[in-house]
Amino acid sequence: MYRWDFTPVLANADLLAAGLVNTLKITGTSLACGLVLGLALALLRLSKHRWASWPAGFVIEVFRTTPPLVQLFWFFFALPLIVGIEMTPFMAAVVTFSIQSAAFFAEVFRAGIVSIERGQWDGARAIGMTHAQALRRIVLPQAVKRMIPAFMERTIELMKTTTLVATIAYADLLYAANEISQKTFRPLETFTVVALIYFVVITAFSLVARRLERRMAISGESTVH
Amino acid sequence: MHRWDFASVLANTDALLVGAIGTLHIFAICLVLGLSLGLVVGLGRYARSRWLYWPATAFVEFFRNTPVLVQILWFYFALPILLPFSVSPLEAASLGISLNSAAFSAEIYRGGIQSIERGQWDGARAIGMNWAQAMRRIILPQALKRMMPALTNRAIEIFKMSTLASAVAYVELLQQGKLIASLNFNPIEAYTAVAVIFFVFLWPLVQFTYVLERRLAGDE
Repeated sequence: MYRWDFTPVLANADLLAAGLVNTLKITGTSLACGLVLGLALALLRLSKHRWASWPAGFVIEVFRTTPPLVQLFWFFFALPLIVGIEMTPFMAAVVTFSIQSAAFFAEVFRAGIVSIERGQWDGARAIGMTHAQALRRIVLPQAVKRMIPAFMERTIELMKTTTLVATIAYADLLYAANEISQKTFRPLETFTVVALIYFVVITAFSLVARRLERRMAISGESTVH
Repeated sequence: MHRWDFASVLANTDALLVGAIGTLHIFAICLVLGLSLGLVVGLGRYARSRWLYWPATAFVEFFRNTPVLVQILWFYFALPILLPFSVSPLEAASLGISLNSAAFSAEIYRGGIQSIERGQWDGARAIGMNWAQAMRRIILPQALKRMMPALTNRAIEIFKMSTLASAVAYVELLQQGKLIASLNFNPIEAYTAVAVIFFVFLWPLVQFTYVLERRLAGDE
């Protein structure tokens, strides 16, 4: 019978904490960039001009249809050689996960904007707003509210996807697990603890998301996915 | 300016072919295991008995709320400590991806079954079917049709997740891409080729889900 011993893992709590901070750093940065970029992609995709909507559609399709790990390797190993700049693992990860989540967010934004009734646009136009004003003041505020559950879901996916950075040696939580397990020869305890940390953080986040969703349901808003 | 040279990749077509077979191999395993285990767990989530409901719910919550790469590495590095035998890269990756997909597809099955109107159950019962017969002959066939787009999406996710098996050195497309890149010093072409191959495999599947979604929206 195997004797579990968590003390060597707990002795390395500082490594785990630093890893968790880095995981949250990548998630936060990619989320912020992904949202901005996703909105831009959605607006381009909705544009009447083909030279705007087709390239945006192409970027969205490519990043939704290829595996995230392939994208990460491409941005880390291939892109620096093409453009001639050094890429740190952190940069490569943020670029990859920002564009990748932007592709998914773009579809959420698009569905949200399309879900707003034509009359809202007409009303805004009738009181003299330009297209940009109507979008910013009338349509987006209503659309974003409907999109919140989809955003939350995507953010959870993003946090789980950030574990891929461990494969290019960025010191996130999973990388810390590798390091500790090699140092202490306690892979069972280390990987179990790290799985539990991810579980606690992600569950906490999804509970908040569910509460928000329920509040939204009470206020009678429909949501988009 | 970089001069693209795909000759060095094309010279390694056989290595890519081996990788493609590895990818399809693990994809097939995880698709079958993940979707069938998902049905079992989904029925557990739908069950009234607490003894079925709680374990199924715990399973779904745990596997949905942890990253699949952590699961794969757990099965590869941690599980063998508890077992009297070692775990191969294929086994570890298949376990991680299959159980993860089972948790996600369980929720699809549950939602699909719940979406079938109460009257269908009553009708099946009225003509003398028991629970299992009603489920198999009346409810599931109708629910499956509604679940098709979501299940196809799951299949696409499984295909993409198969690349994570490279983290435990299972020989699949990305792993072969790494090998070609390090032997020929051509990461740009090697990784671009791998990305294109995945796109070519998955793009038709993605289009297929759009068709399914549109057809379903038209039917309902």
